[in-house]
Amino acid sequence: MAEEKPKKPVGNEFTKPTPRTIPGEGAGPGIHGVHVNAAREMVSLHTRGRLPPGHGAQPAASTSQSPTNFASAFPAPSKQPQRQKRDHEVSIPAKSHSGDCHNPQCEHCGQVIIPAPSASFPIQDKPSITINDWSIYTIKKPILNSAELDYLSENKFDFPLPEMIFGNNVVKLVNDKTGETIEFDAVSALDSLDPDCKLKVSYHQEWLSSRRSKMSSSSEKSEKALKENSNKDIAKLTENLDTMKPYDWTYSTNYKGVTKNMTLKPTKEQIPIKKLLNPDPILFFDESILFEDELGDNGISMLSTKIRVMPTCLLLLCRFFLRIDDVIFRIRDTRVYIDLESNLVLREYKEQEYPYDDLLKKVAHKAYTTMDPKKLLRDTNWVSQNIPVISTQVESNQEQNQAS
Amino acid sequence: MDLDTDVPMEDVEEHQLRQSGQPAGADASAASRPFSGKKQDLSLTSVNQLDQWIDKLSKCEPLSEADVKRLCDMAIDVLQFEENVQPVQVPVTICGDVHGQFHDLIELFKIGGPCPDTNYLFMGDYVDRGYYSVETVSYLVCMKVRYPNRITILRGNHESRQITQVYGFYDECLRKYGSATVWKLFTDLFDYFPITALVDNKVFCLHGGLSPMIETIDQVRELNRIQEVPHEGPMCDLLWSDPDDRGGWGISPRGAGFTFGQDISEQFNHTNDLSLIARAHQLVMEGFSWSHQESVVTIFSAPNYCYRCGNQAAIMEVDEQHNRQFLQYDPSVRPGEPTVTRKTPDYFL
Repeated sequence: MAEEKPKKPVGNEFTKPTPRTIPGEGAGPGIHGVHVNAAREMVSLHTRGRLPPGHGAQPAASTSQSPTNFASAFPAPSKQPQRQKRDHEVSIPAKSHSGDCHNPQCEHCGQVIIPAPSASFPIQDKPSITINDWSIYTIKKPILNSAELDYLSENKFDFPLPEMIFGNNVVKLVNDKTGETIEFDAVSALDSLDPDCKLKVSYHQEWLSSRRSKMSSSSEKSEKALKENSNKDIAKLTENLDTMKPYDWTYSTNYKGVTKNMTLKPTKEQIPIKKLLNPDPILFFDESILFEDELGDNGISMLSTKIRVMPTCLLLLCRFFLRIDDVIFRIRDTRVYIDLESNLVLREYKEQEYPYDDLLKKVAHKAYTTMDPKKLLRDTNWVSQNIPVISTQVESNQEQNQAS
Repeated sequence: MDLDTDVPMEDVEEHQLRQSGQPAGADASAASRPFSGKKQDLSLTSVNQLDQWIDKLSKCEPLSEADVKRLCDMAIDVLQFEENVQPVQVPVTICGDVHGQFHDLIELFKIGGPCPDTNYLFMGDYVDRGYYSVETVSYLVCMKVRYPNRITILRGNHESRQITQVYGFYDECLRKYGSATVWKLFTDLFDYFPITALVDNKVFCLHGGLSPMIETIDQVRELNRIQEVPHEGPMCDLLWSDPDDRGGWGISPRGAGFTFGQDISEQFNHTNDLSLIARAHQLVMEGFSWSHQESVVTIFSAPNYCYRCGNQAAIMEVDEQHNRQFLQYDPSVRPGEPTVTRKTPDYFL
């Protein structure tokens, strides 16, 4: 009885068919076997297509000087880039990368290949790159398993955790010379939550009053049998319910990352948007989710990171996005800009918030969205561009007058 | 209700057979020749039609809008006669959320054995989140109509008009059919899905969990389920509640929805002479997870949920002796899925 040994299916019936035939495969439409290389090729073509004319045929920045022997296995593009302001010292993987590197450089576009060509389920990826003094690491792994979750809830957090925690995902930026480090991960992000949250889901009142009403709700016409026991139970029950320990169920973190050996002071300086708009080749691009919760299908709460590294600078965006359907939108962005030539670090933290209905009205005006007006409301970029900013602050690791 | 005379009422007849104590073998023979008696010609047409649709769908090709309409009409005729607590025989393989991950559903049938050779019980959430909600729900409904006694499909909280408008099924219907007609057809059909099942009187299966307004299974039988999933009340709770480490009933801090503790589960199992509550609704890394000292099990059958969680999926086999065995599986590997391809770099700001 009750044998619950988790077990991979065994036996003839269950051995996975070697050519994994998905119905529809082979003939006509349908998806073919694993062709990561082809997929990669396609994406690189696509990517090159996005570069402005002049860059089109150009491979990425000077990678031929890569000091690691690994790089020699992936010969750098033969053509030297024409626009060479300065020889950027690039190393893929990062100089202090530990273990095997499964994320080589693409010989076509010069970018670090993420996910690794060997990526399989569950995805585990550890790409890295060094440019001048800075090393950039990202780690991507599956959501935490039961054992890891149990450990966290027993030792660290006394509130229910988001349903998807990518607790082993990390984005880390290190200056190899000065030791300045800034790092983003889910567990430290969850550490910065407020103890309570005043927001409720849209039908909170409806729900609660139905729980409290002595007469029970009207939706139970044919449920007379339920009424007798529900009336007394529910009334008794609701008294206890309010005493539950509150916590921020929206997981609205004001996370700005964890710094080491780095002193950031408020500055008037701004992240140089213009420079970031330059279509410099992107040598390293990765995005990952740190945690996500569907709020019981009442919207979404998500903390995610995105990073792009160009030859002269990098930009990291750590975005908290909250949508409670029919209630509110909230965005909290932390941007880290690093000038890889001057080692200037700027960190910007920006909060945005807007009532759900007000944004819905903006969308409703747009004719092209009539088919699905809520589509834009799921697009975090669109939302961030269309809701007001509540506060912004910028910090820098350098005195203002020194900044380039 | 206008009945479609094309459809054999075998489900009702067989159900009565079962009630009168027929062994499971009777179902098998009935399923293998589902067209008997006076409606033979008509049902033969339907069976051929259904087999054609199943063929088409198993290639992950959606049905035409007209066919979806016919399918839904046929399905209503089957599902409306099912009970709120649909009785299910052992052996059966119990599955959790699928969420439009069609290729992983096909993988599930490979792991668990093909339907109708294996009996299946799905505990809801066929649509939303994945890219193939239309194909997934069409396929499962086709199988249901074709083998009504071999497969049971319960309703999950995503089988609702409101939720599907936010989480993908609605968009997908617009994208694949150019209008919301198919979405309307399916969401109207969802109202007929049974909300719970009882496996051999011992394992109570449902999507979410218990309700403080439900003490006995008989009380579930008295609900009027043919409606949109309400925001409150026992039907809502059955599709939404979660087990929790805290004892007693809890209310979610988000202001709606219950959690129930081990004392509640044990009391419910005792009152109703059950050995287990099987439910879905929550993502678990291993695909299944015990709670409340094995009085509740959570089963989740969407591997690498949302194409990014990296979790395993699981299904639970219950044999004639009520032995349980979990089969875990990974996503079916396919190129072109978001996790396998590289992210396209963009000049975000």
